[in-house]
Amino acid sequence: MSRAVEAPVAGGLNRRPARPRAVAGRTGLYVLLVIVALIFLVPLLWLLSLSLKSEGELSTPAWLPKTLQWSNFKDAVTLIPFGKYVTISVFLAIVQSGLATLSSALTGFGFARLRARGKRALFLVVVATLMLPQIVTVIPTYLIFARVHLVYTYWPWVLWGLAGSAFLIFLFRQTFASIPMDLEDAAIIDGCGYFRIFWRIFLPMAKAVLVAGFVLSFTAAWGDFITPSLFLDSDHTTLAVGLSGGYTTAAGTPIYTALAAGSVLYVLPVLILFIVAQRGFINGFVTSGLK
Amino acid sequence: MTTAEAPATIRLPADVQAAAPRGWKRYRARTFYAFVSPWLAGFILLTLFPLGYALWLSFTNFDGMTGHYRYVGLDNYADIFRDPDALHSLGRTALYTVITVPAAIIIGTALAVLVNRPVRGRAAFRAIFYLPAVVPIVASALCFKMLFDSDFGLLNHIFNQLHLQTIQWLADPLVFWVMIAMTLWGVGGTMIISLAGLQGIPGELIEAAKVDGANAWRAFTRISLPLLSPIILFEVITGVIASIQAFIPALLLSIQSGTVAATSVPQSNYLFMIHAYAQYFDYGRFGYASALLWALFILILVLTAVIFKVSGRAVFYESGPDEAAQAAAGQAAGEQATGGKVER
Repeated sequence: MSRAVEAPVAGGLNRRPARPRAVAGRTGLYVLLVIVALIFLVPLLWLLSLSLKSEGELSTPAWLPKTLQWSNFKDAVTLIPFGKYVTISVFLAIVQSGLATLSSALTGFGFARLRARGKRALFLVVVATLMLPQIVTVIPTYLIFARVHLVYTYWPWVLWGLAGSAFLIFLFRQTFASIPMDLEDAAIIDGCGYFRIFWRIFLPMAKAVLVAGFVLSFTAAWGDFITPSLFLDSDHTTLAVGLSGGYTTAAGTPIYTALAAGSVLYVLPVLILFIVAQRGFINGFVTSGLK
Repeated sequence: MTTAEAPATIRLPADVQAAAPRGWKRYRARTFYAFVSPWLAGFILLTLFPLGYALWLSFTNFDGMTGHYRYVGLDNYADIFRDPDALHSLGRTALYTVITVPAAIIIGTALAVLVNRPVRGRAAFRAIFYLPAVVPIVASALCFKMLFDSDFGLLNHIFNQLHLQTIQWLADPLVFWVMIAMTLWGVGGTMIISLAGLQGIPGELIEAAKVDGANAWRAFTRISLPLLSPIILFEVITGVIASIQAFIPALLLSIQSGTVAATSVPQSNYLFMIHAYAQYFDYGRFGYASALLWALFILILVLTAVIFKVSGRAVFYESGPDEAAQAAAGQAAGEQATGGKVER
């Protein structure tokens, strides 16, 4: 009986009357969890609070401003070419993640279902690139692209997309490897080629992973700072870069209330996506992606 | 390796052969290469070639502008050891790594243990702890700048209320700790990986230990931790790789009046990659900067190998190192390999 409190319960909490010590332990656990949760939320809440304060209220410690300054958000979208930055961010993120998802699916299918000399060695390369420090290739790529006039264009994002991502290739390989051989055999008997098998049978079966892959690479592209700051000029750049360099007065002093409001707007889509697909993020995308 | 590969063609059952179109072979090398060609072309063009280009530059004195540059052999690499700024930055990176990697693993695993318990609302707690890991780096940096700002930051407001001297958090030497706090705020990623590992541990094992009189701590250190060790090894390696190349937090925390410049990064946040970045984009010493980049790459390779070697005895593999390494690689790809491969 004594282990009942500790035992993981499948469908909710244990309803049996617990002993006083266990109750104290449980309360302690809740207090701890709530305190840690508050610590994790404070940076975002403080940002939200600043985004609704007036300039004068910045130096006051109050969390809630006297009147909510929604005009900060108007400043946020007018002081910098916000709409343009958002359009570029969304465009580049869709191009890169769309192509990366598709290209990784193709490659993952190749590794999961096809055979050829050199396959094993190439798969080791995929795993190795998972561990490759990104920045070591990004800066030389910039130097090369600068020579062939690919910087200040959106082509690098197309190329990065086509190249796929090692992480997604691994994910797709695992997914496709788990699909029974019978399906493939049946299609072959019907005279299907491998591309049709991939497109008509395997891809539709991997819808969940396709969505996961797209969402993950979209958030990564939306949050990326270093590549747009290197490869794009400051007039045609993404929100991530525009935000961190914008919102200053003519004299160069930052306008913090507008900056905070702009940051809130920038984080919001990611937060909404996270809340909507939270279970996917935590249980699916990150730890399995295999449903 | 390639000789151990399966033959390129495989014999199909007679009826399948009969049904398949004439001249159709089930496994053709070119089918495979057609499928992987976008990735392979991208790998050659965007990874291999840039790496090689940087290696070649590292043996020259190229300044990014003039066409007149020459081969200087290993001079650039020798210069690293004579450059006090490079050595200083290496020290800062080492300190950053030595603090953040263990801290992230300890905090992440502790949080994973907490949210693995059957408490009410644990899905919400998991979400809250993981949330900062999905916040884009630019926004995290802005959050922390506003939290630690000397005039309107929350920390200094609290200090004011307590009648304490307010502090310049975003200047030397404290800005280093702000960067560490910012890094650890994103500990949710580590938590999720540890959590997946914990969920792969069969409940009966813990139950059995409890029946035998072990308390929760003992059950954790004697059963969960050894079973978790391949996951922790994975976290150590990815953590080390990530922190050695880290520089964006340092760069973003020191943005002044809208301009990003490696040269305005305070001394205590002057990480190795900041130094390399400054050599490239502020001083145009492309040859030397490429040598720094390759030195970093080699350092990462060596450290990874050393960690694997040293951890050999400390890491517990129930199913042999090969499978566990596969499981670790699977984890790297976000697969739920922990339950499937390590424990069985």
